[in-house]
Amino acid sequence: MRGITKRFPGVVANDHVDLDLRKGEVHALLGENGAGKSTLMNILYGLYRPDEGEILLNGKKVVFSSAKAAIDRGIGMVHQHFMLIPVMTVAENIVLEIEPTKAGVLLDYGKAVERVREISTQYGLAVDPTAKVESISVGQQQRVEILKALYRNAEVLILDEPTAVLTPQEAGELFAIIKSLQEGGTSVIFISHKLNEVLEIADRITVLRRGKTIDTVPREGATEDGLAKLMVGREVLLRVDKKPADAGDVLLEVSDLHVKDERGLPAVRDVSFVVRAGEIVGIAGVEGNGQSELIEAITGLRHPESGHVAVAGVEVHHPSARRMLDAGVGHIPEDRQRRGLVLEFSIAENIALHDYNAAPASRFGWLFPRRLIQRARDLIKEFDIRGGGPTTPGGSLSGGNQQKVVAAREIARDPKVLVAAQPTRGLDVGAIEYLHRRLVEERDEGRAILLISLELDEVLSLSDRILVMYEGQIVGEHEPGVTEEEIGLEMLGARRKEPVA
Amino acid sequence: MSTYVGTVQRAGSRLVEPTSLGSIGVTIGVIAFVLAIPPIAARSPLWPILLGIVAILFGIVSASRGAYRVGFGAIASGVLGAALAVLATRSSTAHLNQVFTASLIASMLVFATPLTFGALGGMFSERSGVVNIGLEGMMLMGAFWGIWGADKTGSWVWGVLIAMASGGALALVHAFFAIHLRADQIVGGVAVNFLALGITGYFFVQLYHGNNIPTGVSQIPDVKLTSQSSHGFFADSFGHLNLMIWIAILFVPLSYIVLFKTPIGLRIRACGEHPRAADTVGINVYAIRYGAVILSGILAAMGGAYLTVGYLNTYNENVTAGRGFIALAAMIFGNWRPFGAFGAALLFGFSTALAYRLPVYSANGAVLFQALPYVLTLIAVAGVIGRTVPPAADGKPYKKQ
Amino acid sequence: MSEPLAPQHGSEPDEIKQAPPSTVASRLAIKQRAGGIIVPVLTALLAFLIGGLLVLATGHNPIQAYWDIIKGAGLNWVAHPTNTDVANTAAYNFSQTLLQTAPLILTGLAVAFAFRCGMFNIGGNGQYLVGLYVANWIGISFVNLAKPTHILLAVAGAALAGAIWAGIAGFLKATTGAHEVITTIMLNWIAYWIGNYIFQQGGPLQGAANKPLNIPISGDVAQSAKLPVFWGDADLQGLHIGFFVAIGALVVFWLILNRTTLGYEVRAVGYNPDAAAYGGIRVRTNYIRAMAISGAFAGLAGGLDMLGYLYHFGTTDVQAASIGFLGIAVALLGRNTALGVGLAAFLFGGLLYGTTHGLQSGTIDPSLAGHLTEMIQGLVVLFVGADVLILAVWNSRRKLKRKQPTPTRAAEPEAASS
Repeated sequence: MRGITKRFPGVVANDHVDLDLRKGEVHALLGENGAGKSTLMNILYGLYRPDEGEILLNGKKVVFSSAKAAIDRGIGMVHQHFMLIPVMTVAENIVLEIEPTKAGVLLDYGKAVERVREISTQYGLAVDPTAKVESISVGQQQRVEILKALYRNAEVLILDEPTAVLTPQEAGELFAIIKSLQEGGTSVIFISHKLNEVLEIADRITVLRRGKTIDTVPREGATEDGLAKLMVGREVLLRVDKKPADAGDVLLEVSDLHVKDERGLPAVRDVSFVVRAGEIVGIAGVEGNGQSELIEAITGLRHPESGHVAVAGVEVHHPSARRMLDAGVGHIPEDRQRRGLVLEFSIAENIALHDYNAAPASRFGWLFPRRLIQRARDLIKEFDIRGGGPTTPGGSLSGGNQQKVVAAREIARDPKVLVAAQPTRGLDVGAIEYLHRRLVEERDEGRAILLISLELDEVLSLSDRILVMYEGQIVGEHEPGVTEEEIGLEMLGARRKEPVA
Repeated sequence: MSTYVGTVQRAGSRLVEPTSLGSIGVTIGVIAFVLAIPPIAARSPLWPILLGIVAILFGIVSASRGAYRVGFGAIASGVLGAALAVLATRSSTAHLNQVFTASLIASMLVFATPLTFGALGGMFSERSGVVNIGLEGMMLMGAFWGIWGADKTGSWVWGVLIAMASGGALALVHAFFAIHLRADQIVGGVAVNFLALGITGYFFVQLYHGNNIPTGVSQIPDVKLTSQSSHGFFADSFGHLNLMIWIAILFVPLSYIVLFKTPIGLRIRACGEHPRAADTVGINVYAIRYGAVILSGILAAMGGAYLTVGYLNTYNENVTAGRGFIALAAMIFGNWRPFGAFGAALLFGFSTALAYRLPVYSANGAVLFQALPYVLTLIAVAGVIGRTVPPAADGKPYKKQ
Repeated sequence: MSEPLAPQHGSEPDEIKQAPPSTVASRLAIKQRAGGIIVPVLTALLAFLIGGLLVLATGHNPIQAYWDIIKGAGLNWVAHPTNTDVANTAAYNFSQTLLQTAPLILTGLAVAFAFRCGMFNIGGNGQYLVGLYVANWIGISFVNLAKPTHILLAVAGAALAGAIWAGIAGFLKATTGAHEVITTIMLNWIAYWIGNYIFQQGGPLQGAANKPLNIPISGDVAQSAKLPVFWGDADLQGLHIGFFVAIGALVVFWLILNRTTLGYEVRAVGYNPDAAAYGGIRVRTNYIRAMAISGAFAGLAGGLDMLGYLYHFGTTDVQAASIGFLGIAVALLGRNTALGVGLAAFLFGGLLYGTTHGLQSGTIDPSLAGHLTEMIQGLVVLFVGADVLILAVWNSRRKLKRKQPTPTRAAEPEAASS
């Protein structure tokens, strides 16, 4: 790929990016969120058309006008969000678009199953071809995605942040698969922002920053520090400055909590823990192990099956979002666009989301818009929210400023307990630093802070105590000094302990 | 993918499955009603009521074990079966014999045919991810342009072909706005219905000056399986049905095969479930959706053409009178599946047939039978739609990257 | 039992789930900011243009036809606004246009209010009809009441009937997640067949005098239930005070949405039910309440029509009723705002009357023009649904003028890149 440039309205996602891939190598594409990795790969896979630049395959110039064109030339991609159809079987997903037929027009499902079984044994990727995708694990779904590419005779396999949804141990299995593919002559492009993984698996590493190629380096001689510097362009501060916690009274007490998920399956099983004033308790775990349901139960958004939640020593009966708010629980939700903000509402209206029905915002059901605006004006100043005034719609702010609006609203209510779920997901470094600092400040103010994050780094650097969640249970409790590996094992459920009382 | 037929087959092998219990309940509920009508015509309300209760029990058990859909179906079937049966036992046998004749089956098929075409059409569209509440309009287009074509060309074949073209053309408008412009598909469907009403009304006045279509327009022929003079159950029910009725019945398994047993069906369903996934393996989502929506218009228009060219042999303004919406209801009631939709179409056709036949014998409440399809669908979506799922991407515009 | 607080519509693939919330109302809001007043005006013009082309293609003079329709709607009356004598054709036609505008405002508001809560109420016609039935029944029945009481009772009954009819859809959505589009369509047809039943020969509301004559029409409402007429003659379909009720409803609609906590909740739920639930708002309650309020507007329309000028109703009227459907076009063209609905209702009111009863034209047959209205209505709805198209046309025109592309706001850089 030479001189690839892709512009989106307002951003240059790729700015004259060069990348070369050799046969049978694992080439890592390293960069922060928003560095343009996925865009580059979507161009290679024919999903985007580059504005400038060209793609050469085996020395010949090619133009991929669609994914189909790229597939036909032996390029396969495993997307970060799997492109699988949950209600269909593994075999149906794999053969889609190149289905074996019988009698000319009919789908030969038997043959499809058989051929999927063949290639899955050939490459050592065990899956049941007749199982429905929705019923298999995330790790297995990823295998289905890889099989999908191999079934199409992929010679170049693009893996977009493949380990994001995996436990360290599952990631290990994936690496073994990649190694064996490599031996078979397949070239792999491995997209990641995790330094250790890249160093473990890649032969060469290309670093992207703000849409530009910074450098391509061989693995030999590369170090985490060196790569990190290339990635962000300056020294990274991986640790958050903070004093040791001065924990006080128990402000949040969760006991024997059982919660079911959307499908009616147990998601949180017998969870008990406490969070004290002036401490940050972090919950680590792989996505989908009950964290979301736990948060929703604590904040009243989901009715627990059984168990109790007490705030500052007072049990909240029949919890609802309203009761939890009134009891003094603040909540920075994991998805600010889906839940944290009404994007069409102005900043002022968004800030009033919890208090619109109480004085001074309203009286006897009558709303006073000017008061909302005044209050927003104060908070915009206090939280340094940029990009608009009180009447600016929330949706037109940048991600970091949207998150500041959410944080401002929650913190300004002076909550006893603050639940922060993935508070820095998808934000730039500046915003991450601000929010981390703010959380520590609020801790020092004497609030009890419950932090849930999929980024193990974040949990490790912010928390005063760390709980590990696996399959809906708390399987471990640690002091901040614990190693990633130790927690990683528990995240996989390798050392299941009795639930912490 | 578990299919309707698959469910039925499984029911045979695993009788204690909640879904099987529910199916049994539905059947018992139907039997409760059948007992009370000719040829059995039980006079005592006891048996139907007992069977109704049994059906309800089956329904409760199966619903409580998680099979809500069939379970509620069985409960509804039990209640309705028993209620209708009790009503039937209170009418005189003579009346019953007149109402429940073999020709009622023929009549049911007549009313079910446009619904079947429409429901199958809607199913293709929605399985590809485009909600189509414009079925009514597409059917109306077929009804008007079909009879116009048959009148002008003197051939019903051309009439039906022109009807299909007109329905397809209106569907193309819907497809363009829904797919390319990513407009709200429900708004688009509403618009298409208005448009069809306006276009057919306008041209009916323009071309026929609002008078009736001349008589003697070429009509779709009946298929005579028995001689005109012979009578008996088979002759009266299936003996001389219109060709389009048989085509509709044929289209049901055909649609099933296309949708579930061919590559193209797999792709249509992929577009309706997860268009991005389909796109990334190289399926042209837009092309599939265009094809499916246009096909839905063509099928709905065939239903309309049957109505005018096959059945009424004339046209009056807004002749479809909501049949497109009943077809929509049948599709939903049938859970976006061909056999389910056909079953619902038969049920709704039956209730319409009853509504037409009963007034001759009883008081004026019969007209309310016309509302039965809507009431049943209302009950069904309340109990069903919230729990079973339409195609995941149904109604969601897809934006190519 | 543990369950999500907002109705779920089954499992969706991850990608769809993670996309920013996209309710009808939220999409509309984005477009609204983008298009402003231009889009609705262009939409209407384009619809009239295409309608005109059809008129031309079928051998009539479209300019003359539209001019006749304008006169038919009495819009030429504005040239002599002092002459309020309904003996004057223009003044009479204009009063009739306003008579049609009133129910259109209300059925338009019915659609708009549900829209603002993120729901598409296609059931305006059914709610309008049940309002009519109830007003007819009360208007005929309680003949001993004093005039204001009788009117109030009948109007309240009509609004309540509409509220209940729509509330069923809201209730089903809140409790079972049944899609309101499907349920309101079904409720429309149920109301339709109920109408066919109650007014038919031997039906419970068939007029006593009509029974022996075998006419399927109800009796007339009592004098005490008829709304006072303030312009024209009650016997000649004068303009009744219901017009002011409709204007008042516009104000109430605006106040509720923008100045009450109820309206705040409605808008929050409409834009993003997940965020609303998170904010402590009871989403389900709001669905039911918003649908009920929405239905009350439509039921009110039916009640005012019955007591204001129809006085009786029959099965053929039931079959022909389309005021509730027109409300969809009114709300969409009016962008679900109070002012917009008012203006759009006036436009369609004029079109409705101007193409039918008011039309005295050698150019175009009134029965033809009536269908032209339906087509224009369809085109308006079609184009409103796709204002991407209208905007594209408008922007390309602007681009040509400026000879340079207009810079657009950064569209979610996060989503666009990694």
